[in-house]
Amino acid sequence: MVFNLPTVRIFVVDNGGQWTHREWRVLKYLGMETEIIPNSSPYEDLDVDGLVLSGGAPRVGLDTEKMGRNGEYLEKAVFPILGICAGHQFMAIYFGGKAEPAGIPEFGKTQVVVDEEDELFVDLPVSFQAWLSHNDEVSELPQDFISLAHSNNCKHQAMKHTKRPLYGVQFHPEVEHTEHGYEIFKNFLKVCEEMR
Amino acid sequence: MAAVLVSKAIGENLLSIYVDTGLMRKGEGDQISKILDKLNVNYEVVDARDEFFSSLKGVVDPEEKRMIIGAKFIEIFERKAKEMGAEYLVQGTIAPDWIESGGDLRDTIKSHHNVGGLPEQMELALVEPLRDLYKDEVRNVARELGIEVSERQPFPGPAMAIRILGEVTPESAELAREACAIVEEEIERAAEEGRMELPWQYFASVLQVKSVGVRGDIRAYGYTVVIRAVQSIDGMTASYSKIPHDVLDKISIRVTNELNQINRVVYDITNKPPATIEWE
Repeated sequence: MVFNLPTVRIFVVDNGGQWTHREWRVLKYLGMETEIIPNSSPYEDLDVDGLVLSGGAPRVGLDTEKMGRNGEYLEKAVFPILGICAGHQFMAIYFGGKAEPAGIPEFGKTQVVVDEEDELFVDLPVSFQAWLSHNDEVSELPQDFISLAHSNNCKHQAMKHTKRPLYGVQFHPEVEHTEHGYEIFKNFLKVCEEMR
Repeated sequence: MAAVLVSKAIGENLLSIYVDTGLMRKGEGDQISKILDKLNVNYEVVDARDEFFSSLKGVVDPEEKRMIIGAKFIEIFERKAKEMGAEYLVQGTIAPDWIESGGDLRDTIKSHHNVGGLPEQMELALVEPLRDLYKDEVRNVARELGIEVSERQPFPGPAMAIRILGEVTPESAELAREACAIVEEEIERAAEEGRMELPWQYFASVLQVKSVGVRGDIRAYGYTVVIRAVQSIDGMTASYSKIPHDVLDKISIRVTNELNQINRVVYDITNKPPATIEWE
């Protein structure tokens, strides 16, 4: 038996979301070493194999300063990052894309359709029920990003960087009501493990 | 649950206090001593009904209600603490309580009385052993310890005060209590008979919306009761329960016949988000 495999460390950057602590719970249940850290934590202090940028109350287009050091993490990270909701929108803005108030915001149940086969959605059905809670959305992808999924009222439900392991999802894989949420996290963890 | 854990650790040094706010569910006061006896913890019941009703007089804003109730609980605990020389207050705070209470970056969805409703100055230091757990996880721990009471449906600390959308009085509390009891009885019966799945949480709220009715050939102008039932794991997301129409029908008939201030019953079909489980 092998006991000395170091645990994968994936921290959750708290942007003030209602479900930040759920992200921590899912990572914990998947056997990760995980902590919730404030978004003011300096990059140099992070000793992690991956980061989750949580959603939050800040309207990223308007309250950029409330997103703390998320930009620094996106700039410097040598490990994978998964941005959720506000984390996803901020990622788009940071790399030169656009996030704006959604034409029709989505609250609660929505059907998400996967358009691109990708490591984040491995072994998932093409369409699944997800839960959302957002006023803003990514309206324009940044350079080097591709869209991975959509819903009826939102073009970019998921995106990824084509050269770096950076992913964003508008929906919330961490809540119980989203189907296949744990699998999406597992797929992200696999990317983190492989890059260690 | 928190009481049992702490009692296991410090035994007789723990005093559990059940505060009778006058806002609890039907028959709850009688059950509580039995439950506490069974839990084998040192306890005391404080009758604070008058105090709660007088401090809530004229208050209709849900956040204001929650603040008043939070402060009142602490006032009572601190009074007791002085008598016995206690330094710590153990609370059964769970994750959704502090998450939804907000603070710093996190928005305040509702101030849970045990977190957001705490007064700024407190003499007692808080001990909250369940802070990082959700309801389903608390129940898992409770099952390990053989605590049956944790299987009861979740019930908010401010109790009937937030199921009355308006002023809290002994009369309005009684109305909400009776309406809740009818919803509970009918849904529990239907679930026992296999006609529906028992929801995670199920209750009634009394709305201040008045509408016209006719009762015994006489015009009526009465209040509205809403039936709320949801499925959830952790209270952070919830979908409304699909209650069979015959069960809804039975509830509607009982509520309007047994409670003469109510002449309309509606059924809440909203998920969380965008709604929350309770109406206030």
